[in-house]
Amino acid sequence: MIVLDPNGEKMNLMALNVGPTHPATHHCVRLLAALDGETIVAGVHEIGFMHRGFEKMVERGTWQQVIPYTDRLNYCSAMMNNIAFCRAVENMYGIEIPERTKVLRVIVNELSRINDHFICVAAAFQDLGGTTPFMYAFNPREEIMLIWEKLTGARLTNSFARIGGLYRDSYDGFENDVLAACKSVEKALKDLHACLDRNRIFLDRTVGVGKISAERAISYGWTGPCLRATGVESDLRKDEPYYDYETYDWEVVVGTQGDANDRLQVRLAEIEESVKIVRQALKRLAPGPVDIVDPRIRVPAHKLAYQDMEALIGRFKSVYEGIRVPEGEYYCASECANGELGFTIVSDGSGHPYRIKVRSPSFAHVSAFNELVEGLTLADSMATLPGLNMIAGELDR
Amino acid sequence: MEANEMTFAETVVSVLTSKFGGTKDNAAKWDACVVVPKEYLHNAVEFLKNDASMQMDMLLDLAGIDYLTYPNHEGPRFAVSYAFKSTKNPGRRVRLKVLVSEADLNVPTITDLYASANWLEREVYDQFGLVFTGHPDLRRILNHVEFVGHPLRKDYPAQKRQWLSTTDFLVPELEKRLEDKGYKVIQRSKEIMPVEEEYLEGSIRE
Repeated sequence: MIVLDPNGEKMNLMALNVGPTHPATHHCVRLLAALDGETIVAGVHEIGFMHRGFEKMVERGTWQQVIPYTDRLNYCSAMMNNIAFCRAVENMYGIEIPERTKVLRVIVNELSRINDHFICVAAAFQDLGGTTPFMYAFNPREEIMLIWEKLTGARLTNSFARIGGLYRDSYDGFENDVLAACKSVEKALKDLHACLDRNRIFLDRTVGVGKISAERAISYGWTGPCLRATGVESDLRKDEPYYDYETYDWEVVVGTQGDANDRLQVRLAEIEESVKIVRQALKRLAPGPVDIVDPRIRVPAHKLAYQDMEALIGRFKSVYEGIRVPEGEYYCASECANGELGFTIVSDGSGHPYRIKVRSPSFAHVSAFNELVEGLTLADSMATLPGLNMIAGELDR
Repeated sequence: MEANEMTFAETVVSVLTSKFGGTKDNAAKWDACVVVPKEYLHNAVEFLKNDASMQMDMLLDLAGIDYLTYPNHEGPRFAVSYAFKSTKNPGRRVRLKVLVSEADLNVPTITDLYASANWLEREVYDQFGLVFTGHPDLRRILNHVEFVGHPLRKDYPAQKRQWLSTTDFLVPELEKRLEDKGYKVIQRSKEIMPVEEEYLEGSIRE
């Protein structure tokens, strides 16, 4: 590709196709870059390789049947998506969930956030050639995954939250497992910081790479750790608190530079804050019901269905017809691991969602990718991408 | 705190109503939403973004809605819902909605105001076929380049299958991007289409 640069000089650029399946793209994203030597002069990128039609599929089922689909949005922290969706529908009903459910949801949310951030940071180092931090991060992650197995019966796509409650209460010994996991997380954080904070190679590869200003990030709709890395103190858990997040003692973590290093360091620091929240939440976890008692919203317990006619009818109607969510339109957002996960919900008052639009944080982050990498070398573009924590599930839906 | 939020929601609704001929959206029972006439959309968004009392600096989402099968629906078939929030005044949110009839699928673009609008508008175009006039690069985004139709319209059958064979060439877009950055492309690349039969051998399409 022969071009004249802005000064009128002749250049011979090479158009190089990176991806869609490239080891450093983790999922599928394609970058077509015009290269001058090793430097990316311009780039365009393409997404949609994992588009499964989430929004079309959910229109065909009932409201509860949306929940397993939400698992497949950000599958690194599946339960956060369940909870975000259930919260949106619960707000439409105007119901208050039991205290124990709130606390359990906070614990699950924060442990999921820890998991998600660990994967992001671990994968970022793996891409730069550091395999040791990967192992350090995956040990505590595995411990949390074992808690998920006991709690929900699944590792990855848990489908734990329900509209008006949870799939089931926690198991005996849950608190001890979570406390043990918190300890391992803290130990791993120490190891990770020891590996990375003063690591010359790592700092050279990430400091000042893939920089974005706060204004530009806001214009691109960035939220979550990526926006906070640019220094904007924006976190829905503080700004529009839900589940009593404002009563926990924790800080919003912000970066200064908005570069690849900040995006990873913010995530590591957020893990610390999440551990703080989990420890406080464990102290609040008091016995009590996890489901609201309203057969029109939360299906009656399974054991009741064998003894009680109303419960049987309730189960039958809720499975076959679906719960009836009040008619109207609503946008509700929650702070997920990657940023603001929002649902624009249109309900026509029937048992099926009329339209659900997902506002995924990754979509906003990845839309800025070509602007981030222009001017960098090709190798640096692969140091930039993992820090955005692109998750194809929520990016392509 | 709660009282302030209510006042802001009320203010934004009343200001948009008086300035841009908006009407309060009655379907929005849990948040503030204003239906704005298409011709005032750009002005209204510009006002939301730049006015000192609003400072809605983030465009979060565009949601296309097709009311084709909505029970007892009156009015235009499509709508686009714009979700905004303010990072300067946390907690402030508003939605705008424009109604789009099947006869005139054009919606003015707001890509000049928000960088996020670029991909979001492409997505609504892709899924619903609404045309954002003035968009610099209105292409499909989630669906394949050869895809025919707009899948989130209610009359698009969910089970329909389509034969999609080629990759997106993307080089013209790359050349356009270079030109936007001040480069001048002297020699353009051409797409070479492989012989069609090569693709069809052993395929599901007979």
